[in-house]
Amino acid sequence: MKTTAWLLIAFFLLIGLSACSDESRDFTWYEPGTYKGDQDPLLSKDLHQDLNDRLKKGQTDR
Amino acid sequence: MARMKFFCDPERCIECNGCVTACNNEHDVPEGINRRHVVTLRDGEKGEKSVSVACMHCTDAPCAAVCPVDCFYFTPDGIVLHDKNLCIGCGYCFYACPFGAPQFPEESAFGARGKMDKCTFCAGGPPADNSVEEYRNYGRNRIAEGKLPLCAETCATKALLGGDGDIVADIYRKRVMKRGGTLDMWRWQAAYNFKK
Repeated sequence: MKTTAWLLIAFFLLIGLSACSDESRDFTWYEPGTYKGDQDPLLSKDLHQDLNDRLKKGQTDR
Repeated sequence: MARMKFFCDPERCIECNGCVTACNNEHDVPEGINRRHVVTLRDGEKGEKSVSVACMHCTDAPCAAVCPVDCFYFTPDGIVLHDKNLCIGCGYCFYACPFGAPQFPEESAFGARGKMDKCTFCAGGPPADNSVEEYRNYGRNRIAEGKLPLCAETCATKALLGGDGDIVADIYRKRVMKRGGTLDMWRWQAAYNFKK
């Protein structure tokens, strides 16, 4: 009887204490080394030939 | 796909700092920040050489490896860019970078660090290309305009090359062959002070 009473007290104490915590349990676990920001629209562009032509035109020795 | 690379020819660099000025003007970087700087070895002595240094857009970038918030990302061309919305200004990247590329503007009293700023290969950042937000945070996006970095394009002696790594290597290889296939600065003579 005494043990049951103690268990009940511990149970209600635990519930009471957990109610004090306002930390959200809803979080996302990220893997390290993975970029998490916005996608750069530059990535979809295909400018390589233009840039290579410009490099050959402007930076090669005269 | 080739990777975008910078290369500075120490035999040609005359320490004019034109690249630094061009970069600062083009991107309107805050005072005290230099995304590019010119390093001079043996200043004032015989055999003085200068090289223009900025972010080298490393293949296995140490800045990205140490960043605790993973604010770095790579374009398919190998340009290393970062997201200032994620950056916490911790400075780990500054410790990791062998070239001193990451810069930190002072944003408040007592030298508190702001968000990291570095060379973007004139490729801006995550916001829409050449938007006001991109220009304000990362500078002009010349790559999106089909142009190469201004520092390289403005170099008067064509010492600083910037673009597709294969073409840059090809230009430099031709130069070295014209000079007789030698490069005095980096060879044994320089390393061990051999007399010719």
